Amino acid sequence: MAQAQAFETDFWKDANLRKVWDEIVPGAPRKTIPYTLTKEAIELYCRSVGETHPVYFDEAYARTTRHGGLIAPPSIHILLMFSCTPADDWMRSPGTVNAGQSWSYNIPARPNDVIRLEARALDKFIKRERLFVVHDNVFFNQHGDVICSGRGWTIRPM
Amino acid sequence: MTTTFDSLSAGDLIDGPQFAVTRESIRLFCDASLDYNPLHLDDEYMKGSFGKTHFGGIIMHGMNNFGLISRMITDWAYPAGAVHRRLETRWVKPVKPGDLIQPSGIIKAKQATAKSRWVLIDVVVKNQHGEKVASGEAMVEFPMDLFCQ
Repeated sequence: MAQAQAFETDFWKDANLRKVWDEIVPGAPRKTIPYTLTKEAIELYCRSVGETHPVYFDEAYARTTRHGGLIAPPSIHILLMFSCTPADDWMRSPGTVNAGQSWSYNIPARPNDVIRLEARALDKFIKRERLFVVHDNVFFNQHGDVICSGRGWTIRPM
Repeated sequence: MTTTFDSLSAGDLIDGPQFAVTRESIRLFCDASLDYNPLHLDDEYMKGSFGKTHFGGIIMHGMNNFGLISRMITDWAYPAGAVHRRLETRWVKPVKPGDLIQPSGIIKAKQATAKSRWVLIDVVVKNQHGEKVASGEAMVEFPMDLFCQ
């Protein structure tokens, strides 16, 4: 299965390839990349926000739960947003300020899920001289089941 | 006492975990989320202005607040067999290294629908000065077939 190349952590690189506010077309799909979620990536994410619940770490415990095995925390979409998009995605533009997000959760992501994103800009507007873009996203697992869907408001760099 | 849908009332409080924000915690969140926006890494870049906004230094990811709120909700919901179904947040104030933040929630309403039961929770994150840095609303489902964890 396709997997993102080594992740480029320098967001200045390729900055000139990314769409600016003027070029972003509401309704146009963003390019996305399938991503295999690993147990290690889940554990690292959990560590970053202090998640300690055993359903994320302890296979024996997780088998006794309604999930029947390990799962990722609902907010794992924070990682998936960047792992499922390429380096020239405008969400990586330096200076992008996140103003707020809303997410709905259907089923949990699990280790070894191959996750696919459908994403687009939904709207763009100017408010108090700031350039806003609303983005709309749905993550699916390898069975085509919706994991979660969400919307975010970003202020674009000037 | 175990939380149940019937025992909940509007005004009930949920305490979340304190979280000490450091340059290291922000860097760890970069590695965990793959969000390496220079807002969170680059002191020189953050000396500049962003339109009308001047941060004056690196800031924590807004989604770190989101992750903490979500952790609070699941830690509260899982033992009751409930399911975290939705979270909406707005960032009110930047969070910086040295801040100590803590999410909390207050039950706003509960409602039964044709096939399930739902609780709406107002959520907030405050810093060590009692200032609101994020706010929003969560929705938790209490299924009819509870499976407590």
